Amino acid sequence: MARTLAMFTDVSLCIGCRACQVACKQWNQLAPEEPEWTGTYQNHAHFTDKSYRLVRFFEETDDKGQIKQWHMMSDVCKHCAQAGCLEACPTGAIYRTEFGTVNINQDICNGCRYCVSACPFGVVSFNRDTGTATKCTFCNDRIHNGLGPACAKACPTQSIRFGFRDDLAGVAEKRVEELRKHGYKDAQLYGADPKGDLGGLNAFFLLLGKPALYGLPEKPKLPQRNVLVDSLLSIGSALVVGLGALVAFRGRGGRGDA
Amino acid sequence: MEPGLLKSADWPVLIDLYFFLGGIAGGAFVIATIANLLGHERYRDIVRVGYYIAFLAVIPGPIILTVDLGLPTRFLHMLMVAKPSLEIGRDAVTVGPFHLKPFSPMNAGAWALLAFSACAFLAALDVFLEHRGGRSMRTFRGVVGVIGTFFGFFLAAYPGVLIGATARPLFVSAHWLGALFLAVGASTGGAAIALILSVLGATRREALSRLMRFTAFALVVQLAALALFILSVSTAGSAGIARALAQLITGPYGLPFWLGAVVVGILVPLALHLGGVTRKAAPAMTVLVSVLILVGGFVVKYVIIAAGQAT
Repeated sequence: MARTLAMFTDVSLCIGCRACQVACKQWNQLAPEEPEWTGTYQNHAHFTDKSYRLVRFFEETDDKGQIKQWHMMSDVCKHCAQAGCLEACPTGAIYRTEFGTVNINQDICNGCRYCVSACPFGVVSFNRDTGTATKCTFCNDRIHNGLGPACAKACPTQSIRFGFRDDLAGVAEKRVEELRKHGYKDAQLYGADPKGDLGGLNAFFLLLGKPALYGLPEKPKLPQRNVLVDSLLSIGSALVVGLGALVAFRGRGGRGDA
Repeated sequence: MEPGLLKSADWPVLIDLYFFLGGIAGGAFVIATIANLLGHERYRDIVRVGYYIAFLAVIPGPIILTVDLGLPTRFLHMLMVAKPSLEIGRDAVTVGPFHLKPFSPMNAGAWALLAFSACAFLAALDVFLEHRGGRSMRTFRGVVGVIGTFFGFFLAAYPGVLIGATARPLFVSAHWLGALFLAVGASTGGAAIALILSVLGATRREALSRLMRFTAFALVVQLAALALFILSVSTAGSAGIARALAQLITGPYGLPFWLGAVVVGILVPLALHLGGVTRKAAPAMTVLVSVLILVGGFVVKYVIIAAGQAT
């Protein structure tokens, strides 16, 4: 396997211009969509089959309900090291590339939509036109030709950076330290630790507050961790039910036979 | 988990119907096999009707699942693809074009459905031939029965494990769903056999009474698994999960859950059974009890999945 590629999104540098969102749409030839009024500049409310990149806008309020700070965060598929969508996929359409990214093979996907409900971040979307599931590929065609994803290329503030995971993790660590020195006490990395939740995220983030502020789960969990326990409980239940049947049907007949 | 960010697969009610019928098929097969094992002659009607139900109830399954796909022509991809990818998940096994993913309940379930369908067909064929005056192939039926029992339990339980392995707030910390679905399969399978036998009026009273005793036992397991499921969700501790649970037990799904799944589906049939109705009263009462169990069995699967998809 080649060195793992990753994307580091630093929200402290994001200016909410949405150049990444546009670049993504253009390169991946994603069709236009009706805009939504979400209450902020954010469009759309969620990832869709035609929006793989999404700049989220949040207004942080103080105790009196006054706006304290605006937060902008360019969100994307996390290409989790332990990916719920990949594990859920019954067809093997979702696979891990030699760069550690997670892709959906459009020639194999049969549109069962299990991955959509298995993603802990609500990334994967179902495309009704193609009948398949779609999501960000880290611009698979571009990265295989040394170009880097379109969003990172377009970002004017280097809020989105792309490179080898181990290099970027170092950059991210330094940036957090610097921000903390400048008074951003809640600055923290999300998904950067390869020993952390989901084995680390290949798209990790620098946040200026708790993950919940950005709508991210505090501790994302791999849904498939339930499979073994639930299967064992099912086997237990099968034994109980089977035993019940043996007891119910056992013994001499004759009584009341007609 | 912040449910606002998560997405739902938006499976239609047709999928619930498949889960319901698959449970009946699995449950009826298991009952028929065990009855056959303990009294080939005595439970002849239960065995015959059980295997017929198992076969008939499983037939719509693959059709429903195929129709629901975004690309129905690719239904075989559940089991095989011409050129499989390399890294497709934990402990995945690829043999030629075939793949088995033990941690993808949908993939494992597709294999189980295939294997069970074969067993259900062979068992139904065997009882059919015997009924038409042929010789019963005892050993053959026994082997098919044992293999089919494994896959029958699997078929009944796996949808619960499947929805339990999603990121939906109601399911992400939940356990016991597989056990619950298995018990529902057993109770609805038993109820389906009892319903047919009571309507036909063709069986021995004693055999039917034993069937109802087992069905009542399955209802108790079902109630226990349901309680444990709710308990596992309620102790998860996150605000998003608590909201999702509230949808199920007090929100828009509260009425169908309590009235349909618990009272009509479990408590009333159990009370009627314990009151001796299914042993002493007219067959019409057994019909009533069976219908209540079947309605409750569908409702419990439907409300859990609907509430899970909605929040």
